[in-house]
Amino acid sequence: MIALCGCRSNQESSLKQLTLAVNSGVEGDALKQAALDYEKQTGVHINIAEFPYANLFEKELIDVNAETGAYDLIMLDDPWFPRFATKQFLTDLGPLMQKRGQAGPDPDFIPTSIALCRYPYQTGALYALPYVGNSQLFFYRKDLFEKHKLNEPLKWDDVLAAAKTIQENEHEGGKTYGYVMRAAQGNAAVADFMPIFWAFGGEMFDGSGMPTVNSPQGIAALKFMIELGKYSPPGYPSFNADEVGAHLLQGTAAMSINWPAWISSFSDATKSKVIGKMAFTTLPAAVKDGQAEIGNWLIAIPKDSRNAEAAIDFLLWTTSSEQMKLSAQRGNPPTRRSVFKDAELVAKYPSYPAQLKSLETSRPRPRTPQWNEIENVFGIFLSKANSAELTAEDAMNQANAEIEKIVQRAQ
Amino acid sequence: MPKLKRSFSAHNSRDLLFALVLITPALVVLLSLSIYPLIYSITISLQTETADGIKWGVSNFTRLISDAFFLTAMAHTFIYAVVALVFEFLIGLSLALLLNSQIRGRTLFRAALLVPMMLPTVVVGVVWRLMLNPNFGAINGTLKEVGVNTEPLTWTASPKLALLSVIAVDVWQWTPFVFLVLLAGLQAIPQEPYEAALIDGSSRWQTFRYVTLPLLKPAILIALLLRTMDLLRVFDQIFILTEGGPGFATETISLYIYRTAFRFFDFGYAAAMSFVLLALTNVISTIYIRFLQTKQTPT
Repeated sequence: MIALCGCRSNQESSLKQLTLAVNSGVEGDALKQAALDYEKQTGVHINIAEFPYANLFEKELIDVNAETGAYDLIMLDDPWFPRFATKQFLTDLGPLMQKRGQAGPDPDFIPTSIALCRYPYQTGALYALPYVGNSQLFFYRKDLFEKHKLNEPLKWDDVLAAAKTIQENEHEGGKTYGYVMRAAQGNAAVADFMPIFWAFGGEMFDGSGMPTVNSPQGIAALKFMIELGKYSPPGYPSFNADEVGAHLLQGTAAMSINWPAWISSFSDATKSKVIGKMAFTTLPAAVKDGQAEIGNWLIAIPKDSRNAEAAIDFLLWTTSSEQMKLSAQRGNPPTRRSVFKDAELVAKYPSYPAQLKSLETSRPRPRTPQWNEIENVFGIFLSKANSAELTAEDAMNQANAEIEKIVQRAQ
Repeated sequence: MPKLKRSFSAHNSRDLLFALVLITPALVVLLSLSIYPLIYSITISLQTETADGIKWGVSNFTRLISDAFFLTAMAHTFIYAVVALVFEFLIGLSLALLLNSQIRGRTLFRAALLVPMMLPTVVVGVVWRLMLNPNFGAINGTLKEVGVNTEPLTWTASPKLALLSVIAVDVWQWTPFVFLVLLAGLQAIPQEPYEAALIDGSSRWQTFRYVTLPLLKPAILIALLLRTMDLLRVFDQIFILTEGGPGFATETISLYIYRTAFRFFDFGYAAAMSFVLLALTNVISTIYIRFLQTKQTPT
């Protein structure tokens, strides 16, 4: 409210004011810090509207729908992006960048990250710039792998074998589960399933945009997930990130797919019982190479921003390599190759080479404006299969039918 | 009444104007905050967004009938409401009767019983989520200590137990409300009917059945009415505890409406579902109120 009024009353001197909608959490915190630095350097006053992850999407979408222009810059989680970009709610950054002598985004940005910022994916106009370069990693206990003489988890079959061996033979300090995953309906189950689904050769949609999750490959992938679930702690069909994190930190589970944001907590003595025991690598393969799900934070300028010129200056500044290095030091994985290769940062974050490799080979969630709805339905059936309410075949067939309804409704 | 009417017609239009000025603020507030949004939500419930623009019609309402998620969420809501209401009423009534008698430390008990109700629902949800955690939670820990179960029970993760678990949390939190209303009702009952019953030689059960219960009926109906309306729109504790899962096992209608509106941005369909819920809540409330009115007249 204050931000809004501030904006209106200062319309004449609007160049001196910017309002940012940010996510409360490590990603938004780094951006807030950067905003303070920018204010000191340039005198442009920056208002911050901070929202928890669950509310940010609806606040931003309501704002662009109502054309209030309340925000000059908005942070977007990449799966939301098609919803914003298709309706032309955002400012095309191309012309603004050309005005500043830039033909396109800096080639230093990682191609998979920049591809997310274009609509249509990879080829279309540029509506955002990538700020935080998350992609999934495979976490495993290297001490237990060495102790039980296990192969590095390069393939999903190795993972299953290792999970079995560890769960059956590792009793030091209580029971250790072989694997831990999130199968709570919605984002959690889908995020933990996609790397398996893709590795097994599954595809969510065919060329005409119709769902194909119930393909033989898709069903095989879900059967594999359920098999792996036998080595996951009881209750995993309701797990979210917190429960998975707790099991890994307590040393009660040996492997998982997880996001880079968790890495630093493993060396924190107040939280972690597994200091120096975790390894982070790229995702295992099956019939296809392992691919991580990408999860970047993007920054865009709403079409109704009254300060688009000032906003693009801030956006280019905050995604420059110097500023992104600062953001990385504040805990955010970068989206620029040069920052990932920075010697000082690699010394601080030894997982950076693995993160870079994971990010460069990562895959996005399907680029459709209906993704929230599709992910919700898909997650419900994955969760049902994992809690033994449905068989893998039934779950995938029903998921396919429901996703088809959503796709048809949108046409 | 006639007197008022006469005085109104006798005066000139200035008084009428004055009256209008007086009611204007209330009217404006009502129109802008209540009537306008209601009409607006009716209009959006009749709209569907398609590739060729907005289409008018009842397709949102016809879609309801074939939407298995909507029907399942409705069924969950009714199971949730009925089971929770029965337990909250029975436990609340027993506690109210117990603490209405002259037992030691009743002030302390009364105060302690009200604590769950005063806690924010979100806090209750988070605390219970931790307590019900199958691996680290206090409930399974306690059961293990007393030797009840060997395999950890997965309270909120099993499709069979999840709905019961969230109902149990509701009963824990809202029984005190039923208790409070019924206790107030009990204390408003005068002593005379009890004295008369005693003289007539009625048993304790007869006194309860023919004196307490009829006189408590208004309080009972109010407690049940308010709880029913709350239960039908339950949202926060389920959102925190299970977010509707595992799978769809604890998804209630409010959660589904919220998801449809704010996650999928399908406000038309969400509005249509809200109207169905509103209509059902209205029907149920009307039945309660009828019951309340007819039963009050004989006394």
